[in-house]
Amino acid sequence: MTALDESTTGAARARRDVADTKLLPASVGLMTRSLVNITRLPSAFVPSIMMPIFQAIAFSGTFFAIIQIPGFPTDRSINWFLPLGVVMGAGFAGIGIGFATIRDLEGGFYDRLRLTPAPRMSLITGPLFAALARAAIVTAVVFVVGSLFGARLTHGPLGLLPLFAAGLGVAAIGTGWGLGLAYRFKDMRAAAIMQLTFFLMIFLTEAQTPLFIMEGWLEGVTRVNPFNNVIRLSRLGFLDPPMTWNDTWGGLAALVGFIALTLLFARRGLSRLSDV
Amino acid sequence: MTVALHPSTFAQTAEMSKRSILALWRQPALVVPSLIFPLFFAALGTSSFSRATSLPGFPAVDSYLDFALAGAVVQGVLFGSTVGATALATDIENGFFDRLLSSPTTRSGIIIGRMAGGMVYGGLQTLFFILILLPFGLSIEGGVGGMLAMAVGGTILALAIGALMCAMAIKTGSSEAVQGAFPLVFIALFFSSAFFPRETMSGIYARLADINPISHLVEGFRDLTIEGLSMSAVLRTILIPLALAAITVTLSLRTLERRLGAR
Amino acid sequence: MSVTTLPIVAEGLQRYFGSGDDEVKAVDGVDLRIEAGEVFGFLGPNGAGKSTTVRMLTTLLSPTGGSARVAGFDVVEQANEVRRNIGVALQDAAIDPLMTGAELLKLQAVLYGLPKNQHASRAGELLERVGLTAAGDRRVGTYSGGMRRRLDLALSLIHEPSVLFLDEPTTGLDPMSRMSLWEEIRRLNNDGTTVLLTTQYLEEADQLAERIAIIDHGVIVRKGRPAELKGEVGSPTLFVTVDDGAVEQATTIVQTFGELRPSPEGALGVGLTDGSSAVSNVVRTLDDAGITVRNLELREPSLDDVFAEATGYRLEGADA
Repeated sequence: MTALDESTTGAARARRDVADTKLLPASVGLMTRSLVNITRLPSAFVPSIMMPIFQAIAFSGTFFAIIQIPGFPTDRSINWFLPLGVVMGAGFAGIGIGFATIRDLEGGFYDRLRLTPAPRMSLITGPLFAALARAAIVTAVVFVVGSLFGARLTHGPLGLLPLFAAGLGVAAIGTGWGLGLAYRFKDMRAAAIMQLTFFLMIFLTEAQTPLFIMEGWLEGVTRVNPFNNVIRLSRLGFLDPPMTWNDTWGGLAALVGFIALTLLFARRGLSRLSDV
Repeated sequence: MTVALHPSTFAQTAEMSKRSILALWRQPALVVPSLIFPLFFAALGTSSFSRATSLPGFPAVDSYLDFALAGAVVQGVLFGSTVGATALATDIENGFFDRLLSSPTTRSGIIIGRMAGGMVYGGLQTLFFILILLPFGLSIEGGVGGMLAMAVGGTILALAIGALMCAMAIKTGSSEAVQGAFPLVFIALFFSSAFFPRETMSGIYARLADINPISHLVEGFRDLTIEGLSMSAVLRTILIPLALAAITVTLSLRTLERRLGAR
Repeated sequence: MSVTTLPIVAEGLQRYFGSGDDEVKAVDGVDLRIEAGEVFGFLGPNGAGKSTTVRMLTTLLSPTGGSARVAGFDVVEQANEVRRNIGVALQDAAIDPLMTGAELLKLQAVLYGLPKNQHASRAGELLERVGLTAAGDRRVGTYSGGMRRRLDLALSLIHEPSVLFLDEPTTGLDPMSRMSLWEEIRRLNNDGTTVLLTTQYLEEADQLAERIAIIDHGVIVRKGRPAELKGEVGSPTLFVTVDDGAVEQATTIVQTFGELRPSPEGALGVGLTDGSSAVSNVVRTLDDAGITVRNLELREPSLDDVFAEATGYRLEGADA
């Protein structure tokens, strides 16, 4: 390590040889932090796994009778509601990142993160990776428990792909949306907004019943809500009709679109932090 | 334990009630889960399940709303009374409660004062749901009598749940623990006939719904709405909350005694 | 060329909040040129604009006007390069209560791009340096306020920055911790680190800083070495105690050296027009007149006086 040269009014520089911080290691570091922290808050962690399981089971038990409606695409109510549980669990894994970020902002730790030379994007991708990891776990757990309660893949293991795609995708959407709102409001108001909007988005769809059963206002809304494609995507492997590319691409396109929008929202919000 | 004079007990209870009612009023965070959510789900249900009303096991209704009102009211009151307890837990956390205890207010006065706000809210909620759904096709066979019975039921239910949460708040002294009870309330609500008739369920799920007192409570409200004013319906609507309230109020008074005894 | 290589340079730095009638001019045209290896003190009351200035210099806040270069890089255009070269400890320790001290240091190491094999050793070094080795594996949420500050300092030093920003580093600390932190700052400075510290404690500025700037309502009202600034305020006061009988005569004599000033019971106070070098003359003159000097005390104008003269009011907590 060189001593400062007195003759030049030296360009002050760090004495340690610090190279550029790369996006990937920074993201991994922040991902690890997110994941470790969530396990340290059992009051948040346990419900995040239990609630999706509960939702899948409770909905399938309460609304058991709808499978009797002629034309219903499956004869097992757990088949119909398991993917909904996954989507809700994954979505809230993403939103959970928003909650954690609010805590960091309110507590001042976020300043610490912004002071580092880590690429700005890593502040988003790190927690995003954590949300994806959590969503993968939730999806797997809900699938296993749901299977114990009678859920069956109707087209073989291939049916897991759209389920995981929907789960991971919704987690990414939740992350982008949660972060963007956290940056915008910097306090718990954002938490309430996140939960409410996500809930609305998930339920203004075929979450509870298929389109052909609906009547009235919800039918109209569901037809135009792009998020409905995501709900459909998640169910592909659990329903009687064959899985076709036709049904799949709509869901993937919706996911890509929403993910792009929400991540952009987050990225802009992050830049704006230095404007206030 | 000093015995306070009756007139001043009343006055103190009234004062505490006023405080808790005002506090509830100032909480916008209360409005969404206790008012918006239940209405939202009732609205969703009307669009989603109107075809389902022709399924075997479904009571004969003109509109799904007739079926859904009961569940919406019970859901709203359950969620609404959980919030009041969080406020109590916060008071305990920051020591306000201890100061209250050393004042001459009677013990039961403190509990009832706390609950008063929730009770008034519970009654108002019930009426609010009814009134707001009437223009959308809701009709109450039980008429005004039925509505009153429901309002009373809602009020007492708010007391019952509020006292339970109160006991939890006093025992744990932590608002986080109380908030943790929220999901439990949610679960109890779902394993009942709040959203769909028990007759359409099957297996263990149906058994659980059968023994869940919330099922019978909801069905009391439901019968008042769909079938009319009957003794059985009124009893279920009012007695079940009353029984629950008796248990939970005793529980919270005991918990309070224990907490005081431990000092 | 030399301007761009000073560790901190600010020109007309400005930060306004809000607009129209609600506009707040938190920082309204601040110029700074900090020399390499110096300790620079930024002195002012709450709300003067110290923290806002620091936030701009450390890239956390964008200026609404003016410019700044830190470690030779522009704070807006080359923010990441700035970050690589500075260490920052803000007013409230910026920590995560769920993580342990060691974990936080290792995360810093990751985010500052330190080679992987150095993470653990560097964390250990810094924990030892701030005296937190024993607490390193405990969650930071269990640390006391003083411990959190120390960890915060350690976090800011992970990459051995050549420029260190400390925003009110000892506010709220007990005297022992304060002394200890002052020692650490001096040590860092001896190693060559340039330090910019903000404070509302006159004594801190006086003790640590080679140069200071006094900031009030967003503008710098005084800048320079403490001694020079004090000298500009006025003359030092000499308190002389003589025997009762000689008071009248002594008064006549001392008056020739400057104006009389209020003094404690039994002493004479005079403002030395020619400065402290006149002390020996005063003593000699009194001596020649046969007056015995029982007690002598020389009081320089304090930073408190400098501040009061510059802003029109006294800094609260000046006796802290």
